[in-house]
Amino acid sequence: MSYAYLFKYIIIGDTGVGKSCLLLQFTDKRFQPVHDLTIGVEFGARMITIDNKPIKLQIWDTAGQESFRSITRSYYRGAAGALLVYDITRRETFNHLASWLEDARQHANANMTIMLIGNKCDLAHRRAVSTEEGEQFAKENGLIFMEASAKTAQNVEEAFIRTASTIYKKIQDGVFDVSNESYGIKVGYGGIPGPSGGRDGAASQGGGCCT
Amino acid sequence: MHETDVHDLSDDADYAASVQQGLARMNRSDSSKQSSSGEQEGAEIVFLKDNVAIHPTQYASERISGRLKLIKQGGSLFMTWIPYKGQSSSARLTEKDKSLYTIRAVPFSDVGSIRRHTPTLGWQYVIVVLSSGLAFPPLYFYNGGVREFLATIKQHAYLVRSAEDANVFLVNDFQDPLQRTLSSLELPRAVSVTNSPSSAGAPSESPSSWTDGKTFDTNSALAQQNASQRQKHNDPARDLSIQVLEKFSLVTRFARETTSQLFREAQGDGFILNDRRKHDEKTHDYPRIADSNDVQKLPEDVPVPADPLEFDKLSLVWGKPRQPPLGTEEWSAFLDSEGRVTDSEAVRKRIFYGGVEQDLRKEVWRFLLGYHSYDSTYAEREYLVSVKKSEYEMIKNQWKSISKEQAKRFTKFRERKGLIEKDVVRTDRSISFYDEDDSPNIKCLRDILLTYSFYNFDLGYCQGMSDLLSPILYVMGDESESFWCFVALMERLGPNFNRDQNGMHSQLFALSKLVELLDSPLHNYFKQKDCLNYFFCFRWVLIQFKRQGV
Repeated sequence: MSYAYLFKYIIIGDTGVGKSCLLLQFTDKRFQPVHDLTIGVEFGARMITIDNKPIKLQIWDTAGQESFRSITRSYYRGAAGALLVYDITRRETFNHLASWLEDARQHANANMTIMLIGNKCDLAHRRAVSTEEGEQFAKENGLIFMEASAKTAQNVEEAFIRTASTIYKKIQDGVFDVSNESYGIKVGYGGIPGPSGGRDGAASQGGGCCT
Repeated sequence: MHETDVHDLSDDADYAASVQQGLARMNRSDSSKQSSSGEQEGAEIVFLKDNVAIHPTQYASERISGRLKLIKQGGSLFMTWIPYKGQSSSARLTEKDKSLYTIRAVPFSDVGSIRRHTPTLGWQYVIVVLSSGLAFPPLYFYNGGVREFLATIKQHAYLVRSAEDANVFLVNDFQDPLQRTLSSLELPRAVSVTNSPSSAGAPSESPSSWTDGKTFDTNSALAQQNASQRQKHNDPARDLSIQVLEKFSLVTRFARETTSQLFREAQGDGFILNDRRKHDEKTHDYPRIADSNDVQKLPEDVPVPADPLEFDKLSLVWGKPRQPPLGTEEWSAFLDSEGRVTDSEAVRKRIFYGGVEQDLRKEVWRFLLGYHSYDSTYAEREYLVSVKKSEYEMIKNQWKSISKEQAKRFTKFRERKGLIEKDVVRTDRSISFYDEDDSPNIKCLRDILLTYSFYNFDLGYCQGMSDLLSPILYVMGDESESFWCFVALMERLGPNFNRDQNGMHSQLFALSKLVELLDSPLHNYFKQKDCLNYFFCFRWVLIQFKRQGV
């Protein structure tokens, strides 16, 4: 399938916060309460449209356990966007955000767009982190913020798309050299390169990558 | 299995052998047509350390010693590690095995970081991680020299200590634009061109010369193949390993042809699985994958003997219908009157080709997993089971007796328990054995894993363990028995779960080397897609393809 751009995303956050469920809700529009834990990395992809242009999101869903960090770190390479997820019912997953962010800042490119997601907002009765705290953390660290629920699908679509819009805007503003794939952006066949130049036909050798 | 028997002596023997080998090899290279230094114009060895070893397995007999060098040429620094030839401590390691681990002229521009480990007991070692994320197996410095190694790098490349971890050294990642262009071109035929400045007309003799690896990481598989083919004519000792490699590449080709045939048939008249012998010499196309030109050009370079007889022999083995699973009657024939397994090799072979009947698994798996030894008697096993049962209860009580109050002050325990509890409800829930939310079997998984994390507190719990335990509990039924089978399995797989991921890194590295040698089109494809770190195989390897089953 042709796309104007391909954006690579990575989903990070503590184990059990719902990273895989968010991905599944976004790619398959379903919620699977019982599923196998993620080991290593799993992938998902979906086409979206921004500014009338087809954009392919290639999403890397990572394992949350601390002991996999040495592996997870290498995934940051060449990611344009990151969804940093915590569980609003488990305080400790919020407390660990700083360490995740530090990892991201250290291993990702400086222009990576990070979306902070407070997941499981359907479980309001068990809430342990207030919306304001989430907002505050995002503000302090320059992240976009949303509360979402992979179960009810609330804000899931929005979270992925808003991240993409932000990246798209950065391309328009010439923040990235899109010919450099280390930014996690590829120009596709149907691509209209951004003002910063980009590449012509030869650029799209990676055209039909994993679906 | 007697590997552990040699543990004690082999270190010294290793050392002596490697010293000798080192000397022998030096002599050999001196007497060869050209000495390695003579071949290099402007190449300068800035660091040389003998007896730097790789430990592919936990067994001392399988360690590979070699020589580590830092070479400076044209303003760039390269690292090579070449195993000693013919090192004799073990016959299980062929030259081919060793050469898989050879590090051929890795430019430091490809290196991301170096981690230094200084265990209180044992040798210092370093892990070199490439910017691609791929890590070489740990290099053990038997004679010390880690500090000197790092200091030398610092003199010639940009090396800084990580602010986060004093044992991690970050290496610059300036990319030489010329080199990047060369490797992005990925010209399969460009080997000779890249090679020419130093080795034109002078095929190098021994792997200790770094010329045949001088092609940087590009095309090194081809370079190695070319080198192999050249060496074939003058080194009878190499013949064997080349033959083995050729056999392997036959398998690769076979797999590829089968795949392409399946794809063709899937599009056409449907599957004819058994019709494998129709292997006319067409170009083997790469369905799905081979959409890029340079990939398609490559297959001809794989050294495949065109001998149809040989191919047939292979297909005979592959085409064999799977044997029926091992049954009770046949199994008892393997046991002597007191219950010892007389020929464990034959048993394992039999099971490899046919599996085990479901009802018999409970008994046989104990041997396969290493909980029971093959030469134990019925009586010994019965005794062991009862002793181990109380031992299990004792370890389990260690965490069972932690009160709520105590747990409040025991973060590590709470975290571990929380992690395990989160994971056991996400393990094989589609199987009826585990499908109820309050299934006693899920609780059992939790208890065993938590007990294991006390049995082996240093390793603790790591994701992936529940996947390995789940089928064991399903088959064994009994909690204590499952625990001990799991313990035995972890004896073998434990390094995969280590925090520094060192077991995983060395296996992924071996895998990448194998693919590079045996299926260079695939290797080039991975390279092009920037996935040479093989992390996409991580789960397969970590849980032994467990989720890949039906």
